[in-house]
Amino acid sequence: MIRVLTPRRLLSNLFSLIVIVLLGGFAAAALVRYSPGFSSIPEDLDPSISPETLQALHAKYEDNNPLPVFYARYLAGTFKGGFGISTALNQPVADLLRRRAPVTAKLIAMGTAGGLLLGALLAWMAVWTRKAYLETAAFSLSGLLLAVPPAVLALAFFFNQAPLAIALALALFPRLFGTMRTLLDDAWRSPTLLAARARGVGPGVIASRYVLGGAIPQIVALLGVALVLAFGAAIPIEVICGVPGIGALALQAAVGRDMPLLCALALIITFFVTFVHSVGDLLA
Amino acid sequence: MKQKIAIAILALVALCALLAPVIAPYDYSRQFRDTPHATASSQFLMGTDDLGRDRLSRLIYATRVSILLAPAAALVSVMLALLLSGFTSLTTLCLSLPWIFLFIILRALMPLNTRPLESILLTFALMGVAGWAWPARIFGASIEQMKQSGWLLQARASGIGSRRIALVHVWPHLRAIAWAQLRVLVPAYILSEASLGLIGLGVAEPLPSWGNLLAELQRPEAVHSNPWVLAPLGLLMIVMICLEQVAP
Amino acid sequence: MKRLALLLALSTTAFGAELRFSISADPKTFDPLHVLDDHSETIRYLTAGVLVRINRVTEKVEPQLAESFKLSPDGRAITFHLRPNLKFSDGTPLNANDVARTMKTALDPKQASPKGDTLRSEKGDPEVQVTSPLDITIRYPAPKPDFERLFDALSIVPAKIEKIPASAGPFYVADYKSGEYVRLARNPNYFMRPALDSIRIDIQPNHDIEVTRFLRGELDLINQVDPTNFDRIPGARSFGPSLDSEFLWFNQAPSATVPAWKRKWFTSTAFRQAISESIHRDDIARIVYRGHAHPAAGPVSPANKFWFNAALKPLAFDAQSASKALASDGFKLDHGVLKDRDGHAVEFSIITNAGNRTREAMAAIIQDDLSKIGIKVNIVTLDFDSLIERIAKTAQYEACLLGFTSVEINPTEQMNVWLSTGANHAWWPREKTPATPWEARIDQLEIAMASDPSRAMRKKALDELQRIVVEQAPIIYLVNPDYLAAISPRVHGAQPVASPPQILWNVESLRLE
Repeated sequence: MIRVLTPRRLLSNLFSLIVIVLLGGFAAAALVRYSPGFSSIPEDLDPSISPETLQALHAKYEDNNPLPVFYARYLAGTFKGGFGISTALNQPVADLLRRRAPVTAKLIAMGTAGGLLLGALLAWMAVWTRKAYLETAAFSLSGLLLAVPPAVLALAFFFNQAPLAIALALALFPRLFGTMRTLLDDAWRSPTLLAARARGVGPGVIASRYVLGGAIPQIVALLGVALVLAFGAAIPIEVICGVPGIGALALQAAVGRDMPLLCALALIITFFVTFVHSVGDLLA
Repeated sequence: MKQKIAIAILALVALCALLAPVIAPYDYSRQFRDTPHATASSQFLMGTDDLGRDRLSRLIYATRVSILLAPAAALVSVMLALLLSGFTSLTTLCLSLPWIFLFIILRALMPLNTRPLESILLTFALMGVAGWAWPARIFGASIEQMKQSGWLLQARASGIGSRRIALVHVWPHLRAIAWAQLRVLVPAYILSEASLGLIGLGVAEPLPSWGNLLAELQRPEAVHSNPWVLAPLGLLMIVMICLEQVAP
Repeated sequence: MKRLALLLALSTTAFGAELRFSISADPKTFDPLHVLDDHSETIRYLTAGVLVRINRVTEKVEPQLAESFKLSPDGRAITFHLRPNLKFSDGTPLNANDVARTMKTALDPKQASPKGDTLRSEKGDPEVQVTSPLDITIRYPAPKPDFERLFDALSIVPAKIEKIPASAGPFYVADYKSGEYVRLARNPNYFMRPALDSIRIDIQPNHDIEVTRFLRGELDLINQVDPTNFDRIPGARSFGPSLDSEFLWFNQAPSATVPAWKRKWFTSTAFRQAISESIHRDDIARIVYRGHAHPAAGPVSPANKFWFNAALKPLAFDAQSASKALASDGFKLDHGVLKDRDGHAVEFSIITNAGNRTREAMAAIIQDDLSKIGIKVNIVTLDFDSLIERIAKTAQYEACLLGFTSVEINPTEQMNVWLSTGANHAWWPREKTPATPWEARIDQLEIAMASDPSRAMRKKALDELQRIVVEQAPIIYLVNPDYLAAISPRVHGAQPVASPPQILWNVESLRLE
């Protein structure tokens, strides 16, 4: 079935994007609000703080409105350009994200690109050359790296003063390699490609039109997953190595039950993942 | 030949794990308090940890926990992913949520005197259930592409039923992707179990797991003082390489 | 030659005059009146313009922004005479009116200032009277013991408190990058000239990386060295026991999740004493702390020389005494399992905070020790907020392993912990009335200490409180960790002490070669 890009399809995708983002933010807020420890703060254990001061601190950190009311007000606030004040860091969430996003974006972009390139290169070598030893080497390297915790990989790079993006790329590559290899292998075995090779079509055209062209939706899906995986791997890397990025912020927010920050992160991540999926869908 | 060697190694690892009470030199919780942080010796082949517990014994027992539960959790994730891959909006939503809070809620719901084994079973079960979204994304995209392929169109035009199409024509294509996801999820869940220790959902003391043994690698001084700290990493690497070789 | 001298001077000024160390997380606030966490407190201390300063070595109160001070004979009032020509770092003049305004702000209930809580007394807020631009008197409605020491922690604040306010102390916050660093610059308007030009405080959560950077010469000091890293650092030193303590207690409050027969064990003094005597504290000190801890003798660390009850001996392992205590309470061993008089196998859970490797290791040792007397212990690590909820609100726990860190020197300020009705009365928060005669006696002692101006009398009362706590074991004290620190040889003038801020207490005197 051929799917045509129509204004209706565009609008439908946009509508889905908005609904999913809003639901994502609400679900994240619900998870935080109803998790144990939400209404506790370390100051509850401080004997030098009076009950009145403690009550005031709780009032400052908690929003006791029903969740839908909180969420509606929060969304209204985002339209005014803010994501509220982080309860863990006592700073505007927008400022925190603005300062830290470039750090993580750079790490994730370089790490993802590196992971995808390395995965694609090794997958291509394994499939294109059809040499068993290359395939074994690629899988062995992938298996080796899968076993190493990303944080440990990052520490090894950190202590040797090497770029952490390479550590992230090496952590990501094995998680993408298997799927990329399967995609390329499927494309290689397809009758269409076989016919093209039989007709003497050059490797460049085969690669761009028959292999990559046919696998675009899966590649975009893989890119979306790669970015989410990269963010997940970036969190321990940033935390362990003290990188002032959003990953470290996300963990701090989770541990500190920082609702404004977590809602902001959920909205942004959901938007990002949904956007990538929508682009893939439209490209297909 | 390679496949046979890999199968043999995996079988040996599984056997050692099952026979842990027989082959482990000591009980995994026994503390030799006179010899903490000991290096390898005839008494302790891999040395001892910071509480004087034999590393080799703990590695053998840890294998039991991780080698059984991580693949089971991965299988749950992949099966759920196959079932739910058609729901792209749900998949996207689930990819973005902070699942750590679900684990915190699970911990709160569990009685405090839950046995360590029950606790870890529940933890891996929840990991399996919560981890379906990203394999589902891959399956979803592959299925979408297959729907537009000529051979599937022809199969439908020929009047072949959906069930037969799914099992005979689609599944062989998905099988390789499913295996690729499994081999990624198994070590991911082993490592995630260690991270869950930060919120109290990892394996409770004194039960060892590959996750909590691997967590020691984050302290370089521990590795310098006793290189056997790397043993769980080495074993996991061997298992992962063997899994590659036995892939369909 | 001149050029060489200038270059040398510049290099020393640019590189050698900035002290560098790290903290593990961002400070939450720069507002001195609302500081709650340790990292904000470190920044506050270094930038604080305070009326008096406690000399952490001699424990004496010394003038700072106040040139002199005088206590009234009735122990209710203090008069400060400020130094002339004081200024904030932004050049704004500082006089007695600023001190009065700071007091008023701190005591304002709307501000919810933790500093205000320490300044208040049981009988009400103090009265503040400005008698001249340089003179101010603060009078309490009733005698408040040692109240002059409170002004060591009260930073005088400017009229308008910005996000990063101007400072009246030796340094001010010159630059802050979230997640990266805080830079403090020397306050040119401070009444004395600190030797350091600036202080750079990096934000580094990973202690192993902190140590590596110190060894590379990128940091000048590590204010608190982890025992597991001590041997890695050639220059690291132990300064004896710290004020910190680690302890375990049983939940004695009625709880929906603790069955009545378990609560009976936890409320039995004999049971608690047996548990205490079954724990190898020396093993905890030797193994978990690598020898850098000492078995605790009670609620006050021996590092607190004045307030510690020297008659108390470190709590020791005593299997015989433990067996006797358990037998007296009807406990019996049945095929290796300890059972109470009703036949219930003794099993309970200990909760502690996840991610704290030291506490998890301590819990594992306690679990192993108690297994030898037939008790099954389940260790449950929880994230900190969940733990707080259980111990402070829901009481849904059986036993808890925690510790006090950065403790105040004066333990008589911990009324909320020892008073039965106190919110931090660990084993039964907000108890309506004392459940036992010994708790009633502790209440009496606490109330007496709160108002008795005589230090000697308060010492006597606290000695008795410590003895009761050791005898009744509502809280089982385990160890006092040592204070470990590392200071680069290029830092001079440091006199590290156990009480916070440890190395930095005399920051004005620190200099770099």
